[in-house]
Amino acid sequence: MSLLRFEDVSKSYGDEEVLHDVTFELDAGDVEVIVGPSGSGKSTLLRCVNRLTEIDGGAIYLDGADVHAMDENALRRRVGMVFQDFNLFAHRTARGNVTLGLTEVLGLSEREAAERADQYLQRVGVADQADSYPAELSGGQKQRVGIARALAMDPDLMLFDEPTSALDPELVGEVLGVMRDLADDGMTMLAVTHEMGFARSVASRLTFLENGRIVERGSPERLFEQPDHDRTREFLGELTDLHR
Amino acid sequence: MSVDETEPAAVGELPGRRRVAVLAVGVVFWAWLLARWASHNAVLDRLFNALGAPGLIRSEVPVRNREPWLSPEPFASAADGVASLGLPEVATGWLVWLLDIVAFAIESAPALAEGAYVTVYLTVASMLLGLAIAIPLSVARVYGGAVLSRLSLAYTELIRGTPLLAQLFLLYYGLPLAGAIDSVDLVGSGSIPGAAVFVAIVGFTINSSAYQSEYIRSALQSVDEDQLVAARSVGLSKWAGIRHVVLPQGLRYAIPGWTNEFVYLIKYSSLAAFITVLDLFGRADVIASDTFRTTEIYVIVAVFYLALVLTTALAMERVATAVSIPGVGQHDGDR
Repeated sequence: MSLLRFEDVSKSYGDEEVLHDVTFELDAGDVEVIVGPSGSGKSTLLRCVNRLTEIDGGAIYLDGADVHAMDENALRRRVGMVFQDFNLFAHRTARGNVTLGLTEVLGLSEREAAERADQYLQRVGVADQADSYPAELSGGQKQRVGIARALAMDPDLMLFDEPTSALDPELVGEVLGVMRDLADDGMTMLAVTHEMGFARSVASRLTFLENGRIVERGSPERLFEQPDHDRTREFLGELTDLHR
Repeated sequence: MSVDETEPAAVGELPGRRRVAVLAVGVVFWAWLLARWASHNAVLDRLFNALGAPGLIRSEVPVRNREPWLSPEPFASAADGVASLGLPEVATGWLVWLLDIVAFAIESAPALAEGAYVTVYLTVASMLLGLAIAIPLSVARVYGGAVLSRLSLAYTELIRGTPLLAQLFLLYYGLPLAGAIDSVDLVGSGSIPGAAVFVAIVGFTINSSAYQSEYIRSALQSVDEDQLVAARSVGLSKWAGIRHVVLPQGLRYAIPGWTNEFVYLIKYSSLAAFITVLDLFGRADVIASDTFRTTEIYVIVAVFYLALVLTTALAMERVATAVSIPGVGQHDGDR
């Protein structure tokens, strides 16, 4: 059974339809990369998974269960999310950012939470910054703390919403490195990113989304080498040129 | 942080020598005030008696008969002396006035110290009780949905839109509140103040809760909303996210505005005198009608208020520094 399944999902803001009959599924361990022009509905698609946005039609299933029948907080503790602008808690240290969910949602004691936080900060390579506040961290360090915060909840699935778009170019590598390691460890990932190198080498599937519709979906090799649609070739070509 | 010489500086930002001078004046003022309270205060009286040091306190002496610790005589006779020199009025008038007012200040000081005690606890109690109300009010305003936020807005606008004096009169003369408080046996006996003080605290608490909630509301709104989204994305409920993410930051952002409100309330608390409370202003009023030296006593009492206000501003600067976090609030990038 698939870990995540979208069935004819649609979503509108007023008259504007941002997702239109989106259907796809992800198996455990899959790494799915979604690309598309701005306004194509990529972020909305991610936010529908953990119900930060509610869908208007269709259904989304996590491990066979309809997410709309689940308690939203219970759903969210199973789905980790990483944001473009990090969204770290500014008043808490790197460690404090990770422990909040552990103590308040999972009910760990402060000490257990701190130990677990330190493990995950170590894993993403920011153990030395555990006592630093977000304002004292570089963008790359912030994003790695953001990943540790989501990861420490031990989620079934990780969502990445343009995790490197707000970073200076020289800091992109460290974040992609962490994501690559995660994929190697078998984490199921759904990532919106325009890092085509990452997509080519790590993604098991690539989806091209435009105007709320899936234009084309397949292995990265096929979409890059011989896409069915000219629009896919054109868009991926532009992306690759941009990042050369 | 460098201070432009032309800018008015907060006490904490003054350069070394001036800062020491200001602090020294403050220390002398507060040492005197605290000692005065300790020697004439019924609450402290009991405390000292319990600690086995009776006789230190003379709380049975009526406030107006309490003796100043310094004698006003030297200043009064110096004033007379200067006046009798027969020099032109223009040359010595100011000196006579100054020596006179110092003598008068020394005479009035015991009563004003008693009043300052009432002003301080009236203000501190109302600020803290007001804060306890303002936090839920402002959270309701920002996150409460249509009904709660409108109720909160209505309360805030009603209180901020009507005169504080009218509110106090309504509470004291218009409602049976004072009578109800008075009917409690303990009120007005021994160390417990009379009903008017309680009514004043109720009035100031209500009034300041409305103003405080406005400061806190705008502070809450300046907390980056995406952080609440992030809290929700790890599974925190909306209220848990507000409590653990929004409030700790919002309350830090609110410190400058809150300090402002504190300073306002110290001064507005003088309205308590209009409902018979013998606070700092109330004492000054009594002295004014006893002596007819209105100008002098209001100048002196203004200095007392100024000292209380400066102390509060300085203390709140310390608080802001103590709780500051890099990247959060006014001390952004300070350390």
